[in-house]
Amino acid sequence: MTDMSKPSAASSEKQLRPGLWATVNERYPGSMIHKDDVVPLAQLKKPISECRVAFLSTSGVQPKGTLPFDTVHPVGDYSFRRVPSDADVDDLEIHQLKYPTFGADRDLNVIFPIERLRELRDEGVIGELNANHYTFIGYNMDPVELELTLAEQVAEALAHDEVDVALAAPA
Amino acid sequence: MQRAAERRGIATVSPSVARDVTEHAKPPRAVFLPFMMGHLFGVPFHTELQRHILMEMISLLETAEESGTIRDLDLSWAKARKEGKEIERRASQ
Repeated sequence: MTDMSKPSAASSEKQLRPGLWATVNERYPGSMIHKDDVVPLAQLKKPISECRVAFLSTSGVQPKGTLPFDTVHPVGDYSFRRVPSDADVDDLEIHQLKYPTFGADRDLNVIFPIERLRELRDEGVIGELNANHYTFIGYNMDPVELELTLAEQVAEALAHDEVDVALAAPA
Repeated sequence: MQRAAERRGIATVSPSVARDVTEHAKPPRAVFLPFMMGHLFGVPFHTELQRHILMEMISLLETAEESGTIRDLDLSWAKARKEGKEIERRASQ
């Protein structure tokens, strides 16, 4: 039987912080997602240069003035925020405790590349940006709850927006 | 979340700095880079690197044939930091 609590050899050799999954799951049993299967790939129906793209992020980035994520709730915050894809980075802020933000505090694109995405849109690499990107926090202790609520709600919002491609970034 | 989107016909791709977590979660497509948490797109003001990582993600969207694909990018955190410092040094001159 394969011991899934141990990372692969490739992970151990390459990862800057090795054993992350096992470390967190040992401290908070059941908090880390594990899947035995994969989901069938959705096929691109048109070239990327014609696709509508949204960015999804666990970074806790949100527009200033919106209700801050509850970063100290014992089981997490399963809500999401919409971040206008044309937002100025100076109008955004981070509410998240679980990753180092020393880079993002100086250049938000390090974790939320909103300006690079606009450049790729302007150059025609991607067709268009969805009116909103979607953000939430990564500190959620129940992966099943997350899958049944937050994941479904964001996916439904993406479908409603007729998004073709989602770039989904865990912080 | 990537799975929920794919079930609705929306193609997804993710960057990862924790390959073991990605191996457990098995998202449809991912690129792995050996960077620090919170720095998925590199270092401040290194716009070329930030763009490169996005382009690698887009490339994987176009080329991945199997769900669960993880593409290891040939990047180094030490090199990224060094380049970032040089970019900031030049900008300050």
